[in-house]
Order: sequence, then structure tokens, then C-alpha cells
Amino acid sequence: MTETREVTAERGPFFFKRELGKEEGEYKLVGREIERPDAFSKIMGLTKFTADRLTEDVCFGKIVRSKYPHALIKRVIVDEALQIKGVLAVITAKDVPGENQIGYAIPDQPLLADKKVRYIGEPIAIVVAENEYAAEKGVEAVKVEYDPLPAVFDPLEALKPEAPKVHEKGNVALTTIIRKGDVEKGFKEADVVVENIYYTQRQEHAYLEPEAAIAYPEGDGIRVVLCTQSPFLVREFVSRVTGYSQSKIKVIGAPAGGAFGGKDDMGPMVASKAALAAIITKKPVAIILDKEETFVASNKRHPAIIRYKSGATKDGKLTAVEIEIIYETGAYANRSPFVLWRATVHSAGPYVVPNAKVDGKSVYTNKVFSGSFRGFGDPQIHFAAEQQMDELAEKLGIDPVEFRLRNVLKEGTRTVCNQLLEESVGMEETLKKVAEAANWKKKREELKKYRKGSKVRGIGVACAYHGISTSRGVPDWSAAAVLLNEDGTITYRSTITRLGQGSLIGHAKIVAEILDIPLEWVHIEEPDTSASPNARPTHGSRGLMTGGTAAADAALKLRRTLIKLASELLNCDEKNVKLENGKAFCALDPSNKIEFSELAKETYQRGYQPAYYGFYFVPRRYFDPETGLGVAYCVYTYIANIVEVEVDKETGEVKVLEAYTGADVGKAIDPGLIEGQMQGALAQGIGYAISEEVAFNDGKIINPNYTDYIIPTVKDVPRKVKVVIIEKPYSSTAFGAKGVAEAALIPTAPAIANAVAHATGVRVRNLPLTKEKVCFKLKEGKK
Amino acid sequence: MGKKISFILNGVKREVYVEPNELLLNVLREKMGLTGTKYGCGIGECGACTVLLNGNPVLSCLTLAMDVDGKELVTIEGLAQEELQIIQRTFLEEGAVQCGFCTPGIIIMAKSLLKNKTNPTEEEIREYLKGNLCRCTGYVNIVKSIKRAAGKACKKC
Ligand code: FES
Ligand code: FES
Repeated sequence: MTETREVTAERGPFFFKRELGKEEGEYKLVGREIERPDAFSKIMGLTKFTADRLTEDVCFGKIVRSKYPHALIKRVIVDEALQIKGVLAVITAKDVPGENQIGYAIPDQPLLADKKVRYIGEPIAIVVAENEYAAEKGVEAVKVEYDPLPAVFDPLEALKPEAPKVHEKGNVALTTIIRKGDVEKGFKEADVVVENIYYTQRQEHAYLEPEAAIAYPEGDGIRVVLCTQSPFLVREFVSRVTGYSQSKIKVIGAPAGGAFGGKDDMGPMVASKAALAAIITKKPVAIILDKEETFVASNKRHPAIIRYKSGATKDGKLTAVEIEIIYETGAYANRSPFVLWRATVHSAGPYVVPNAKVDGKSVYTNKVFSGSFRGFGDPQIHFAAEQQMDELAEKLGIDPVEFRLRNVLKEGTRTVCNQLLEESVGMEETLKKVAEAANWKKKREELKKYRKGSKVRGIGVACAYHGISTSRGVPDWSAAAVLLNEDGTITYRSTITRLGQGSLIGHAKIVAEILDIPLEWVHIEEPDTSASPNARPTHGSRGLMTGGTAAADAALKLRRTLIKLASELLNCDEKNVKLENGKAFCALDPSNKIEFSELAKETYQRGYQPAYYGFYFVPRRYFDPETGLGVAYCVYTYIANIVEVEVDKETGEVKVLEAYTGADVGKAIDPGLIEGQMQGALAQGIGYAISEEVAFNDGKIINPNYTDYIIPTVKDVPRKVKVVIIEKPYSSTAFGAKGVAEAALIPTAPAIANAVAHATGVRVRNLPLTKEKVCFKLKEGKK
Repeated sequence: MGKKISFILNGVKREVYVEPNELLLNVLREKMGLTGTKYGCGIGECGACTVLLNGNPVLSCLTLAMDVDGKELVTIEGLAQEELQIIQRTFLEEGAVQCGFCTPGIIIMAKSLLKNKTNPTEEEIREYLKGNLCRCTGYVNIVKSIKRAAGKACKKC
């Protein structure tokens, strides 16, 4: 085991107050809601998404996909396809010049299947043609000869010794573990013990914009434009597949029409295919999935089976948890090592549990691969953990909010991994504030009146926490570039991408705040690997926290230069130089001042450095994967949901009437953007809880469209949504900010399940809470 | 080559050759260079491709290009050629835009709603927009924007 360097940094709110010489209330941008600068071009229809950039000369790549869930490929016959007018090439595994390997953490996934296919929809070949129509005809004309193999579709079946092997090594992709304290002793100390099995389903991202990439051969290199969450990861994969050195590959991150993790996993896969096609045909090639392909072949949220046993004393203290987690990864491991570890280290929920035994397994089946999806393993485990909390509370006769408050993580307590939480732990405050906003106590009593008739009401609560950035001491950093132009405007570069979440707007606000200039002076460049240092992925809720801290680092360097320069120009001591409203002046004599544009010009004229890279290295410490103990994440975001539901006992329909969602975000750089993320996450969480489920028949997805895969419409979301923002700043990041976009989704499904239990007295431990399941449970409950 | 059709597009008379099976969405995006109208599903489920045909919203992914011959078409690009319409203004102010992919279709629908009904109730707004999916916003600020735009001088909405 390697010793990890201990890195700590002091960058939180106090640092910034000191450095900028301002109180928080004096900030002009940080902490204030602004009109999004990118919204104007969106409401005008002028924003160029990937597919909006097609030009006449661009050819089309279409993908030949497996028709079998599990089969050996005998032959791929391409001759007939090549005869079709307009078809330029049919690319198969043997044409891949580099490595035919796109496994993320475990090298188990080919870009184009060669010997074997493992799910229906797996890519086998790419047909490249001058136009879309010819490419489609070409796909139909490619003949694949298969030798079908027995397939396995259920993770529990897959674990049996006689099960067909999805991969040679067997069907367990990986395992995880936590051993803390003594669970036997813990359960002996418990006055109540609750044990249940929970099931969660596959969820589809269902973003409106399908995956798309356009690759252009350029000189001796290649340029790829696509909707992605990580341009540099795309570059790494394109390099691996094409054999081109990374320096010859330029990746541009176009704005994405939603991503939610899906485009993190899919970006490199689609881009690598487009790049390959462009290199082989020497023409620009676009690969744009159609909606059905997105549904069939993109990664999904891992379905889970969780056996959960927990105990508590009669004064309401948790004593132990024993948890078995099975996450179905489908045909390939993809992000599973990270998803499963995340679930494991969050498995006790945001509570102090002295004794824990947790075992996780990621299991292969012959279905489309699972992967990144907002929450990244945490929604499933919290669905179980938070229903357990309610059941324990009920058995103990303690109010569910009160029971949680007796156990929540606080500063100075330790997580299930025995990680000591030193700072920025806002669970208690968040839960209290959300309960207050929802008028919890009163509502919980009052709604008992709605027990007659067929429509009953209930209110439920759930909490969650979510580690930010990468886990278990895996190194993580971010970077950004700030360039002062001669007219005083700023060119800002980062490869954090634009998914709708607005991280880059947060970065720009941080830069403008530090330099004390109007936000309009900061121009955000399109993410480009050839022009920007590696900000690393826009995932793990790290886009603002890590990317923004790198932006702050660059801006602070420029600020110090400008102060030095102004001191020289104004003949004023550096400590008296103030930057304010696009000017520098001397505090002793405010009339002794210089405009920012003048300062910019002089920066160049006097040989000062006008551009800086900023870096941020995430604090990390030791984690032991053998025991699951140690520092799992540098910091966590804490969140609570309270929802009021109405259940129609005749039809089983569950409606969310009101929702209260609160999070400790460290520091809200933009409360408006945070609200937007929390409102959106809530709707996605409601879909996850009630209506969304990818359905299969013998490994084939049978609802690959919005008619059969039901995401919430404007009619399905609560009429009242209240967002509560709590700020417990983190000392390592710009102004103390943490991430929020993922965390917000995690408690929604368990809060709804708990509300349904409150309304009806029956508990559904199987997502989604469809009419059928609720009805069935109600009938069963009556018996 | 196809057949020549002519129509008024965002106030300007245009002529274009189309195939009998060509969809309006593709003609707009590929032949007219108007990419503000989006492909979200291609089968009439998401509303991202909504445009106004003779003042009424239609799904351009389900409309044959041939069928717009002689008619008047307005896309998102044509909505605010002189000044921002109220509905676009409130979308900006209320933060109703995240990724922006659903936005053009929803703004077109909202405009059409407010033209027919200057002061719709919240439930009427929701009923009217139920065919337009948004995966990012949870619809909270979208509904807020339309509510705020409603009731204002909406001849221009
Ligand atoms: S693209 Fe026309 S309705 Fe979805
Ligand atoms: S803003 Fe992204 S789909 Fe609506």
C-alpha cells in the first residue's frame, strides 16, 4: 500500500475575506443570484449544441449493434454494405489502430466487439457514409453471424456457480468491504433490530439531447467536438483507441443538453468511434445517436439488491448495521469500482454507527452496462438506509426527525468508515431547517386526519450525504487559466463542461469577485484540451468546488500581480492598494486611481505576467481498502428532503404534493443556480421513486422511448417546492463551496417511500413505487 | 431534387426543394440552417421541435415539409427579432433555463398559450405544457416564468 501525502490547504471563507479585504456581505457576486449569462443565447435558440454544428462536408457514422444478449461473433460480413452508394467504410474491431479497449477502471470492454457480444445493443461495427440515409442502409446490410450462448439476466442467478459466465473471470466484477467495531456486540446492545431487503431499478438519464460527437481530421492530428463531461478523459480514450499521441488530439466540450453522468461514460465511447471513423475515411464524421439508441445502449443507474440489518437502543441510538450490497453492473464494469465503493462508504447514511459490517458485490449480467448517474451509487443505498431509520423510529416510538437528530453526523464524530469529520458538517442544521420549513411536527399529526376515504395523505423525511470529488484517497485535482487581455477583459479557460448546471458561471463569478470587476468582463471560453489545463471531469459534484477553486487560484495570482503593478503606478504601498469596481486605487487617497484597462495595458508594457494557471489539489489522506476504514472523501454535502404525498388507495397512485429540500452546500456561490439544481434533482428523484424503470424482455429493453419510459412532466411535479440552503463552509475551497447537484437527488425516493408508509401504513421496499406495487402492498397489508 | 415549396419563415418568404418524405424538422435544421429547433426524440414525445405553423404549435418532427407550402412558419429564431418578448424576458429573470435544450420548444408553446389565453391559471399552464419534457429544471421556474409573463400586455407575447 502506498503512503499518501497529506495535503491540506487553507482557502475557505476566512482566507478570502482576508485576501480580498472584504466582509462576506460586501461581495458583489459571490453569494448573490444573477441572471445566467448563457441563458440569453439559449432562449434565442442560438446556442450551438453538438448536432447544431454539422456542415455540408460532414459524413455520418452509424453503429451496427448486437442483436443477441450473449453470443460469439463468428463473422461480420460487410461486402454488401460497401456496395451501397455513399457508403465509405465499414469499420470493425480489426480496423482499430490502437487498443480496442474502453474499460474505465477494469479493461473488460472493447470499443467494437470482436469475439463476443455481451448485451443487446453492443457496438460491433461502424458504417461511415456520405449521408445519414446511406449509413442507415449500410447498417442494415452488414451481416453478423453469431453463435448464441446462454445468457444471464439476473444478478442473483449470475452469482450461482452454474451460471453462464459473462466474463471469463466469472460474474463478480469486484467486491468491497467495511469492518468496523463488533457488529455482534452492537446487535446485542440493541433494543430493536430491523432487517429488510430492498430492491432498486435501472434508471435512464433520459436527457433530451442524444449523445453526439463530430471528429475532424486536422493536419496530422484530430479535433473532436462533443457533448461530454470530461474533455481530457475523451482525449485519453481517443488516444488509446487511435494510437495518436494526446498532444495531437484536440477535444472541444460543446454545451450538453443534459448529462447527469450519462455523458461522462458515453462521451469517450462515442468520441472514440467518431475519431476512428474520421481517421480511417480521412473525412469529418459525425456520430449522433437517435433516441432509441440512447435508451438501448447508454449506461444506466445500477439496479441494486440490498439486505440491510440495523439496530438501535431504546433511547434512540444506532448500535450496528450489517449490510450486503449487490449492484448489477450489466455487461461491463465501467464505473462500478467507484460506484460500489461510494455506496459502501455511505452505506450507514449520515449517522454515527459504532459497529458496521458491510459487503458489496458488483455483478455482471447480459444487460446494458451500468455506470454514472447523478448520485453515483448513493440513491440506492440511501433508499434502504433511510427506510431502515424510519422503521427503527417507529418501533422505538420516536418521531423520525427526532430519531435522526439523535444520530446525525456532526463535527467531531466519525462516519461508518471511521473517518473523523473535522469541519463543514451541516446535517443537523439542514434537517432542522427543512423540518421547520415543512412544519413537520404539525403536519405529521394533522395528516393523520386524511385517513378516511380512498385518498390518504402522509409526510415523510429522508436525509443523505454525498462525498465530493473522488473517493478513497484517489488523487484529484483541477486546473484553470486566466488571461488578462490588453483592454482589461479576462479570457477564462477551464475544461469543466457546460451541462446546464452552470459551474463555469460560478467560476467566472469567483474570478470577477477576486479581481473586483464586472462579470461581463470575464469571457468564458469553450472547453478545449489544446488551450486549457486539465480541470478533470465534471462529475462527482466537483465542477464548482474543485474547478472553481482552481479558478480562484489563478485569479488570486493575477490579483497579486495587479496589486504590485498598481502599487508601482500609484506610488502607494501594496497593502494600501485596493481593487474595486474595475479600478485600482490607493486607500490613503482614493482619488489616486487607475482604470482596470489602463492597468491591463501597463501589465504588458512593464513586463508583468498577464496570464496564470490555477491549480487545486484536493486534500486526501489514507484509506484502507482491506477494511474499508479511513478517509473516504475530503468533504461531504449533507441534504434532507421532506415530502407530502397523496396516495390513492384504489389505484395505488402516489402523488407528491409538496416538497422541501435543503442542503448544506458549504458556501452558495450562486443561490439561484443551486436552487435550479435542487429543483431539477427533486423531479428526477420523483421519477426515480415513482415512474421510471428500464424494462427488459430476455435482455432486450422494451421501453426505449418517452412514451413507455416515463419521466415526470410538468403535471407530475409538486405544486409547492421549497429549497433551503445551509452554509457550513469548507476551509479548503474557494469561499468554502462544496458541490450539490448530485446530493440533491439522493433522499427523494426514500422520503417518498417514508411518506407513503405514513399515509398508508404499508412499506414498499422496491423501487419504483408504481401503482401496481402500491396496490399490491395495500392488499397484502390488509390481510 | 424534390418539389419546390414556398412559405414565410420568420417573416421572410423562402423557397426550398423538398422530398415528399422529408420532415420539417430536418428541413429547418439542415436546409435553412435554423438549429434552434431541436431533435429530442423524433417521434412526437418531447416537444423540443415545436414551431408555430400559421400561429399554431406543431411538432416539426411529425410534420412533412411539403405541408408547410404556402403557410407561415415561426421558429425560436424568429420570435424576438426586434425586441425580447415578455416570455423570454421572464425565462431569463426566473432562471428557467438550464441546459436549454427544451427551452425553444417550451417558449414557443408558452407564447402560443398566452396568445390564446392572456391569464391562464397554473393548472392551465401545466395542462398546456404537458407534452414538453424538461429533464433539468423540475419545471419550477418554467411555470413561474409563464405565470409572471401572463397577465402582462400580452399582445406581444
Ligand atoms: S423531437 Fe419532435 S417531439 Fe421530440
Ligand atoms: S433545461 Fe435541460 S431539458 Fe429543460
